[in-house]
Amino acid sequence: MFIPYSIVNPLTTVRIPRRLPRPGEVLVRLGEAVEASRIVAQTVEPADFCIVDVARELNVPVKKVKAYLKIERGAAVNEGDVLASRGGLGGQVCRAPITGTIMGSGRGRLLLEAEPQTIHVAALVPGLVVEASPTEGVVIESTGAFMQMGWGNGKEAFGKLRVVVRSPRHPIRTKHIDAAAQGAILVGGLHFDEETLGQAIAMQVRGMIVGGIPPSMIPRLEAVEFPVVTTEGISTAPMSQAFFDLLRSLDGREVSVCGRMRYRWGAERPYVLVPMPTRGAAPVNPETPLAVGSRVRILRGPYTGSSGVVSDIPKGLIQLETSARLPGVQVDLGGKEFAMVPFANLERLL
Amino acid sequence: MTDERSIESILVADCGTVFTKLLLLENVEGGAAGQSYRFVAQAETLTTLNPPWNDLSVGVVNALEELEQITGRRLYGAGRLITPQRGLEGVDAFAVILSAPEPLSLVIAGLVREMSLESARRAASGTYTTIKTILSREGSLNSPQTTWSRTVRDIAPDVVLLVGGVDGGARRPVMELADAIALAASMLEQDQRPVVLYAGNAELRPQITKLMGDITHVEVVDNVHPTVDTEHLGPAQTALEQYYIEGRMNAAPGAETLLAWSRLPLLPTATAFARVVEYLCHREGNTDRGVLGIDVGAATTTVAASFEDRSYVTIYDKGIAYGPLEWVQDHGTAPLLQWLPEEMEEEELLVLLHNRELRPWTIPQDPRELWVEQAVVREMLRSALDMARPTWDPGKANVLPGMLPGVDPILISGGGLVHMPRPGQALLVTLDSLQPTGISTILLDVNRAAPALGAVAGLKPLAAASAMESGTLISLGTVISPVGKARPGEVVMKMRIVYEDGGTLNVEARYGDIEIWPLLPGQKATLELRPSRRFDVGLGFGRGGKVQAIGGLVGLVVDARGRPLVLPEDPERRRRVLHGWIWDVGG
Repeated sequence: MFIPYSIVNPLTTVRIPRRLPRPGEVLVRLGEAVEASRIVAQTVEPADFCIVDVARELNVPVKKVKAYLKIERGAAVNEGDVLASRGGLGGQVCRAPITGTIMGSGRGRLLLEAEPQTIHVAALVPGLVVEASPTEGVVIESTGAFMQMGWGNGKEAFGKLRVVVRSPRHPIRTKHIDAAAQGAILVGGLHFDEETLGQAIAMQVRGMIVGGIPPSMIPRLEAVEFPVVTTEGISTAPMSQAFFDLLRSLDGREVSVCGRMRYRWGAERPYVLVPMPTRGAAPVNPETPLAVGSRVRILRGPYTGSSGVVSDIPKGLIQLETSARLPGVQVDLGGKEFAMVPFANLERLL
Repeated sequence: MTDERSIESILVADCGTVFTKLLLLENVEGGAAGQSYRFVAQAETLTTLNPPWNDLSVGVVNALEELEQITGRRLYGAGRLITPQRGLEGVDAFAVILSAPEPLSLVIAGLVREMSLESARRAASGTYTTIKTILSREGSLNSPQTTWSRTVRDIAPDVVLLVGGVDGGARRPVMELADAIALAASMLEQDQRPVVLYAGNAELRPQITKLMGDITHVEVVDNVHPTVDTEHLGPAQTALEQYYIEGRMNAAPGAETLLAWSRLPLLPTATAFARVVEYLCHREGNTDRGVLGIDVGAATTTVAASFEDRSYVTIYDKGIAYGPLEWVQDHGTAPLLQWLPEEMEEEELLVLLHNRELRPWTIPQDPRELWVEQAVVREMLRSALDMARPTWDPGKANVLPGMLPGVDPILISGGGLVHMPRPGQALLVTLDSLQPTGISTILLDVNRAAPALGAVAGLKPLAAASAMESGTLISLGTVISPVGKARPGEVVMKMRIVYEDGGTLNVEARYGDIEIWPLLPGQKATLELRPSRRFDVGLGFGRGGKVQAIGGLVGLVVDARGRPLVLPEDPERRRRVLHGWIWDVGG
């Protein structure tokens, strides 16, 4: 039976894809070493455009529009420039609604296209370019502490990691966000409130890593400029101890945070990488079987988010509170606390 | 290639959005001596269509290895499935059904919401599609062509379904839509341009083809709404299904490997499931009642119905894991919270829904999670049924206007229903959401094998029929649902149960209650029904009669809660009532 996994590993080698949202240009070579801030690829965002119905605006037949046009195809225009006019008493004027270029005309209409915007994709993680597709993007191999997250707000950044709470059960509060937080990526245990988020924005923090966030905060967090990622998904539970311990051990180091996620039809997970100046660390083996001693995290029920170690794999079925009987394991949660968990609600921590 | 007569063993891979399941079907009579097929083993693992695997066949191979451990039979060697069977190795045939690939992304463009656009939406629901947006004038006199073009360009859908105008009707507004779509397509890279499926005013076909033919692929099919009073969905549905099969299923990573092992083309799971419902309808041969099948999966809910010779399939693009959050945006949380027998804050509900979507393979571990799961199944089913019913022509089965047409049996399948810890819970959720009328047998597809049987039917119909008759589908019981209104506690029906051994039981059903009477699986009884004059059990108001009933895991059920089912508004009272019903069905 295959049990899903999350990587929470102090030293491993990972391959990070850095893809363009649409075909573009790759700016680095295969085998090249890159820093986190290096722009590795770029593309052009489709331009805004509008169709200007000149015939309707001037109230003239389609066939006569050409006689009233003041510009030609290919001309650059500014917002408000006159595109066509009909003089005389009660004359009418047709103006450009946006700044751009006249890209086409026909049937009494003009197609006006704005200047396209260039999108840059940075490396985000330092490492070696191990795959490069000329138009799609690159894959960067990097070594360090790597953690796969449960939820992210789609943003990404790198900065200095700052653990501002004492335990995974403590939330980040406004008092934790002082001048030293500027440019840092803060780590807290529990979710935070609106006031704390406001303080984080005001103090220009570069990112936040927490246990979870409540559903009501999602729209607000999706609108902020910096990455917010959670270890436990959408939750008001504390951060899993395994994640907190690793993050605390890395306090003060440079960290890359990616909050991009596409869990359906693409399975892109948010992650945190703390690069290390070493080479040759082994990548995690997803085929590692579940056995007594395996590190796991519980995904459902009263122990959601708790991490521990498999202490027994009973041969028979275990009975859940719902009265369902399923194969599962006993998990030692530390402190002499144990939980019986079906395989379906377990995740291996690799 | 093995011919049909010599097929003794069949393996079916059912690759769903979350799980890939293998089912092994075998002739247990052995050789020419007899033909009796049974599901003998199954294995399940995670579907591997998406990263980090990006290959459907990896999940199938994982499940094959598990099946080898279970059966002790070698099935996989030299990098492929072993076929045909040689002694205790391999299988004679292999079939694949799929619902794992991403649905077709669709933009619908048309004129009138209640007419052609509604028909287009129904046509789209016949296959795995996601309607990204609907373009129409929405009562505006001017055509927002810039907005339409920008929308199509930004979405870059797989298909634009352009409808509008009855045959010989509106021309200019349809051409304005076509213009905007053509412009959008021309702004996209060649390989991103959507196919345009035109199913509008037939008179415009040459103009549409001329306008867009040089820009993108245009396919013309019959108008979905050819006259004001008629709807004609078949050709548009067939074309969309074909796009899904070619563009999504056959193009899925790893599909090529599976096709190389299989004797049959890949089959959409919903199509396979609908085949089983159609078979049950033929088997019953009852023209007064149809057959209904529901399959609640992780990402979709399929409703298949068959009335006389007419079969229908509707795929609602929301399931138990993927979709409820989007559903809540449209409907709010109240319809879900109303089904919970315990108080729950909205935030707790939303946390559970979010994490179910983030971790769709997980199962409820405590009762509160279970109640939420069951509430979600109820509402997804109700929405799916609302979408399906307007497409049906139930004929003589449509006895009580506004109610679910008479259907018997009702087949329930899919992880959302069959994984409930107790059979009574699956029954209650089914009754709450479908609200059947009259007399129906509820069949539980306990191993989620029904779609696989639909695939087997395409390979060896005898094997599918044999397996279906031999316990693949388990009866939960016969349900009698009297329709009418009364005061709570009032007797709405008296019933005499005459068992096969001659024993009898005289019982009464009171309004507002669910009554369960003993009738074991396979056990038969004759029921003498005497509804009160304001109630109908499918025989006419106040009319009784004798009917045969067959038992099931729950028993003989009388659902006397009335139709439509109304829950008490007071939260405390409602929770007490819900607890009572759960208790009644042994949940």
